[in-house]
Amino acid sequence: MRRRRLEESIFKGLMLFSLAAIAGILLAIVVVVTLKGLPALNLAMLTQTPKGGYYLGKEGGILNAIVGSLYLAVGATVLAFLISLPVALYLQRDYAGKTRMAGLVRLFLDILWGIPSIVYGAFGFVVMLYLGIRASLLGGVIALTLLEIPVLARAMDEVIGTVSADLKDASYALGATRWETAIKVTVRQTLPGILTAVLLAFGRGIGDAASILFTAGYTDRVPTSPFDPVASLPLAIFFQLGTPFPEVQRRAYASAVILLAIVLLISIGSRLLSKRFTKHVVK
Amino acid sequence: MISRAPAMAERQVRGSSSDAGEARINVRGLNVSFEGHRALKDISFAIPDRRITAIIGPSGCGKTTLLRSLNRLVDSTDGVKVSGEVWVDGADIFAPGVDVAAVRKKIGLISQKPSPLPMSIYDNVAYGPRIHGTKDRKVLDRVVEDSLQTVGLWEEVIGRLKLPASKLSIGQQQRLCLARSLAVQPEVLLCDEPTSALDPISSQNVERTLVALKHDYTIVIVTHNIHQAIRLADYVAHLYLGELVEHGPAYQVFRSPREERTRAYVDGTFLDGFKKDKELDLKGTKCPANFVHAKLALDDMEKGQVLNVIVDDPTAVAELPRGMEDQGQEVMNVRQVDEHVWEIMIRKRE
Repeated sequence: MRRRRLEESIFKGLMLFSLAAIAGILLAIVVVVTLKGLPALNLAMLTQTPKGGYYLGKEGGILNAIVGSLYLAVGATVLAFLISLPVALYLQRDYAGKTRMAGLVRLFLDILWGIPSIVYGAFGFVVMLYLGIRASLLGGVIALTLLEIPVLARAMDEVIGTVSADLKDASYALGATRWETAIKVTVRQTLPGILTAVLLAFGRGIGDAASILFTAGYTDRVPTSPFDPVASLPLAIFFQLGTPFPEVQRRAYASAVILLAIVLLISIGSRLLSKRFTKHVVK
Repeated sequence: MISRAPAMAERQVRGSSSDAGEARINVRGLNVSFEGHRALKDISFAIPDRRITAIIGPSGCGKTTLLRSLNRLVDSTDGVKVSGEVWVDGADIFAPGVDVAAVRKKIGLISQKPSPLPMSIYDNVAYGPRIHGTKDRKVLDRVVEDSLQTVGLWEEVIGRLKLPASKLSIGQQQRLCLARSLAVQPEVLLCDEPTSALDPISSQNVERTLVALKHDYTIVIVTHNIHQAIRLADYVAHLYLGELVEHGPAYQVFRSPREERTRAYVDGTFLDGFKKDKELDLKGTKCPANFVHAKLALDDMEKGQVLNVIVDDPTAVAELPRGMEDQGQEVMNVRQVDEHVWEIMIRKRE
């Protein structure tokens, strides 16, 4: 018995240690980045675009990157959602469910998830050349959409799969079609999960650098058309960190803080929104 | 306490003078198998119109499969193969090209585990009518109220209609599911062990509702509870390992089953059911004399007590309950116990 109790304590210790490690890592990232970035963080950073010589230490801000990142991520997430939701619904048992095709689609999605984002960037680049588009908001959105689709589709597939057959049968028994049941019952039941999936994809999209390196371009202005090049926070961090000026490097960390803050705000906002959506969910 | 919708109070109370009634659903040679395993073997029988038919048998014998075949809900099970025919109103519902949604509108199903939809109480009941095209808010309001009244839920939820349905107690949820099914105005109600997940009081509520409904709907109920079958059924089908062992009027299957397997299953546990405070044997008397006797007997009793009247006059079976209801008494059940003998259970309300 003593040996078993010892085992119990050891494993409990290991688990607590892992917990501490995770909390520690998160805290470390936030603290370090914030400490290095806070000195350079001011209102100008958030509200102004880079003026001449910004990258050499002169005035300006990264409004171009903030707005650019939001345009890119929101655009890509919306497009990816429009494609992923029908796929996730079709993979249900009610439709393709157990067929070979469904298995194949899931396999494809899993493989797509694993493809490195730089490869998406390279692929997107080729597509752009073929379509005759320059590095632009549109190019970046296309590349990010491709990146987000497997994340979104698989996550929604998982959560939609948890809807019990009993619940769907209740709808069918009243004479509803599969489509009506999918939209009015299944989606409503899984709304919190779908929201989480959307956020997961958004987070992936807003933080990725490799896929938009060649496809989105970079600019000091806020884009006014989808064919304009667009700046983004990850690339802004990259460029600023790459200069030899400590002042500019501090601004890089400030940009990182802003990026973190956006992701944090979206996360918290979604949890609050999710509460409203769970109101009707059937346990 | 069930508050009956106006339509119910004016119903023609039909006595069970012909125990089988007309056939509403005709099952012919139904075979159902799941990935090689034969769940139903060559089932053929007729379900009588506007009666309660109970499908009894041990767990796993195919009762639920049979029930789900009656509204084609069995289609959605993986690897299912169905052969045979189920005739309803002159058409085989398994014929190719049949509009399945229309079948399910006519033949509703309530499952064992109450499944409220993820929406408000109002939207749950309005779900069916909305799907089938009803958009007018006033019409929907009426349908929702009528359906909830019929199942006795209206008073309990009035003012809370916008609340999520999942907040109701499980007994209320099951009654909600019943109201939901009634809202599409079906003609047949299939109930898969509707009370097995409920506490005794909720079960009683649901049973009483079903008994009240049987004069307007054909009801088929699957149950593994013999006592419940005895309480409710007019007609019984006994299933064992996918085969139809025996079927017939309830009094015959329970009193004198033809098959040994049925005898073994039923085991002589019959004629139990509601507690009777007084029994009045009126065999040999005719209408309206038997009504007068019953009324006098009831006058002597306390409020809430149950009088069991035994008659052999077919007219009385229809007239006596109606007369009692006009007087404000509660007719709990009308049941045929022998070929020419009926029991009418009346509870004194005032």
